[in-house]
Amino acid sequence: MTVRITLKVNGVDHRVAVEDDTLLLDVLREQVGTTSVREGCGVGACGACTVLSGGSSVSSCLALARRYDGAEITTAEGLDENDAVVSSFVECGAAQCGYCIPGFVLMSTELLTDNPRPTEQEITDHLEGNICRCGTYPEIRRAVATAAQRRSPA
Amino acid sequence: MLEQGWVGGRRARFDTAGRVRGLVSHVGDQPVGAAAHVAVHRSTQPHALIGAVHTEDALAMPGVYAVLTGADLYKQFGDRLLTGPAFADQPALAHEKVRYVGEPVAAVLAADLATARAATDAVWVDYDELPPVYDLADALEGSAFVHDELKPSSVFGDLRHLRGVRDTNVNYTYTLRHGDAQAAREAGAHTVTGEFWAPPTHHVPIELPCTIAWVDAGRLEMLTTTQTPSYVRQTIADLLDLPLSRVRVTTRPLGGSFGAKMYDRLEPLAAALAWTTGRKVRLVASREEAFLLTTRHGAAVTSSLTADAEGNLVSSIADVRYDTGAYADVGPRITAKSGMVTPGPYRIDTAHVRSRCVYTNKPSAGPFRGFGVPQVTWSHESLIDELAHRLGEDPYAFRRRHLLREGDEAPMGTRMHSADFVTCLDSVANAIGWFEPLERGSGRIRRGRGVAVGVKAVLTPTIANAVLQFNQDASATLLISTVDMGQGSDTIMAQIAADVLAMNSERIHVVRADTDATPYDTITAGSRSTYHTGNAVRRVAQAMRDKLIALGAQHFEVAEADVELTPEGLRSGERTVPVAELVHGHFGARGATLTAEANFTTSWAPYDKETGRSEKVTEHWFAGAIGVQLTVDTATGRVHLEHLAVAGDVGRAINPALVEQQLTGAAIMGIGHALFDQLVLDQGQLVNGTLLDYQLPSIRDLPDKLTPIVVESPHDDGPFGAKGVGETGILGIAPAIANAVRDAVGVRLTTLPLTPESIVTALENKQEEES
Repeated sequence: MTVRITLKVNGVDHRVAVEDDTLLLDVLREQVGTTSVREGCGVGACGACTVLSGGSSVSSCLALARRYDGAEITTAEGLDENDAVVSSFVECGAAQCGYCIPGFVLMSTELLTDNPRPTEQEITDHLEGNICRCGTYPEIRRAVATAAQRRSPA
Repeated sequence: MLEQGWVGGRRARFDTAGRVRGLVSHVGDQPVGAAAHVAVHRSTQPHALIGAVHTEDALAMPGVYAVLTGADLYKQFGDRLLTGPAFADQPALAHEKVRYVGEPVAAVLAADLATARAATDAVWVDYDELPPVYDLADALEGSAFVHDELKPSSVFGDLRHLRGVRDTNVNYTYTLRHGDAQAAREAGAHTVTGEFWAPPTHHVPIELPCTIAWVDAGRLEMLTTTQTPSYVRQTIADLLDLPLSRVRVTTRPLGGSFGAKMYDRLEPLAAALAWTTGRKVRLVASREEAFLLTTRHGAAVTSSLTADAEGNLVSSIADVRYDTGAYADVGPRITAKSGMVTPGPYRIDTAHVRSRCVYTNKPSAGPFRGFGVPQVTWSHESLIDELAHRLGEDPYAFRRRHLLREGDEAPMGTRMHSADFVTCLDSVANAIGWFEPLERGSGRIRRGRGVAVGVKAVLTPTIANAVLQFNQDASATLLISTVDMGQGSDTIMAQIAADVLAMNSERIHVVRADTDATPYDTITAGSRSTYHTGNAVRRVAQAMRDKLIALGAQHFEVAEADVELTPEGLRSGERTVPVAELVHGHFGARGATLTAEANFTTSWAPYDKETGRSEKVTEHWFAGAIGVQLTVDTATGRVHLEHLAVAGDVGRAINPALVEQQLTGAAIMGIGHALFDQLVLDQGQLVNGTLLDYQLPSIRDLPDKLTPIVVESPHDDGPFGAKGVGETGILGIAPAIANAVRDAVGVRLTTLPLTPESIVTALENKQEEES
């Protein structure tokens, strides 16, 4: 059954029509136009489709859009270029092909919101579900540490 | 920065800010408008003749536009339906018979992807089963044949003699014969042998393959995820029997590739469907389908290495079998390029290698970062390590003594230049503390160190072209067909051109491959772009510099020799004119452009058919080394990497930051191959082809310390002495780790990956032997 729901994506309300089985991923890509949200595996195992809903990470390739009526969704496009995480990723060269990086940026944002000064182990624990096939992990780890410093200087 | 020039600078990728926020758009992000979405019905049989293909039920589903079979396409295209880089053996849709589980049999075109995918389940096929060829043993010893006869393509002239050969699954054999290796082995004092296996693996670039094709005024146009736009244009022109001018292939930046998105993937089917139906078609592979499009060759190596009483290497013998699956793809090339370096980068008196490319009823294997060389490096770096242990010598020092030096001739006949194995090996050994005492551990956790070196030839011969438009405002537009898939080629090509033109590299825009506009370039693969396309770019920039200097000479009314191009403009003596002003003055118009073009082509001496030797089989060599310190948990078999150092001789680093990322990125990919990464097939059926089941390195798999080391021994003909680096770091990872495991716990493993189970089993076997 088609229903209309409202998604607040990066601060802007979008009224979209979805079926019972429509995925949040497809709504964001095809109706809202936020193509930083990407399908890498379709089974919630790579993290390329990560978005934040009310600040919590969600694998949008597994999420039924209907359940997100009224939710505040953040995608990487919605982060400012001067955002601590974004600017740290850029400065640390934490992107090669960059296809998976928006997912890492959002996971890192979630981590630093919950835990402003994570240890290296905590960074690893939080990001281990995201796959970067170019192997940018050392730079990503440095970027998250840099962003933590930038958001809450010791 | 300009004072030192752009080359050698750690310039960030020009589009990093956009990539981090996901603003760089990819092929799959492009709106397609009214299009037919395509899904594929796949074979359930590994090897069978196709009877009737029942499409009626699928056609009757609402939203389904058309269903086409291999027979439909064959009616239209005949044998042109069969394509491939080495052998024209692969149909866009199976025709007459299927050769692996998952092979495309029918294509459904529908209003949306969900409908198309649902309709593929309503297609069914009558099969007449044939005996399957599941593995190398079936293929080499059995009587079933995957193909009735060999069909070399027109791409490589030296495969022509194989046309029409029947009753074999071996589509290519490369042989290296240098001296009498058998006699030397028999006369030698110490011989080590091994049966090595490297399993099939998958590239898994996170971006899924996607192709959009349409017909525009009698031309076939295509937007596709490919590393090889020039190749794809030729393939499509051949398939549709069109002049090249009526085929246009365009790309976007790729979300990773590693060899997965090259040669014939979705493109022939997309072109055939668009051409046949007149519709715009969009094909995208699901992750499960992407696993079936191409794989890395599983390879078996039976080999030996012999030393004389003084410890000199006297004989290397190897029998290499690459399992290429149902279609040859570029397997025959992999077989030769890897076969010739199977003895390793050592001074060895004699060598005999037989390297074969073998058909089986499995998904096709093709190019993968390293082009088959990691599989033979697995053999030679394990053997020489074991030989050192056997002789009671230090594995580092034993290698070092025998490594090829500048000017040395490799066993396959080509000399070494700009391939500093010794410095690579020394630097990784130093980095991991090889010369310092090792706390080996006495309980359950044992510590060890290992090293390995790697050698690979660059793709030769190849062609690169570049066109440069210098804009009146002193910015520039560079047209090349190199595809930036994360390696940062757009950035370093701009750096090379900027250095020659004494301008800011950020004022140079690199145009994405579009065969209507960007000139021919063989392929973006084999780590060839920095050297080859880089040379074309340097030349085109030099040609442009000459033009600007000529204009300057006119302007100043002096000889060209008296004019110099500087960051401030053209200078003659005390006088300077800004470039923008000079070009404006020349054309009398703002926004005008000057155009230059350049070519860089390499040549080779084809290897001798009998001996496999050539005095110039490659334009240059890649040289690398790996050093590892690790621990093994003897109770669980788990390996923990404490420090991994990866060194590569890149000639000269155009951008050291990007070089280091290539080294560490390749190392991380290699860690997966060493410890857990493998495709599992059961009776030809892929059983772990989803990311729930297929394990890839995550941030948790990083070594505690990962050290990239850039070694620079400039190449005489490289742009500023540079060579490529994309594959160098992956060659020796698996053997370096296995050698460190051998050092830690005394067991020699020869089957990859080194799973905890395999290590525990080996330790138990060792205990039984000792008790």
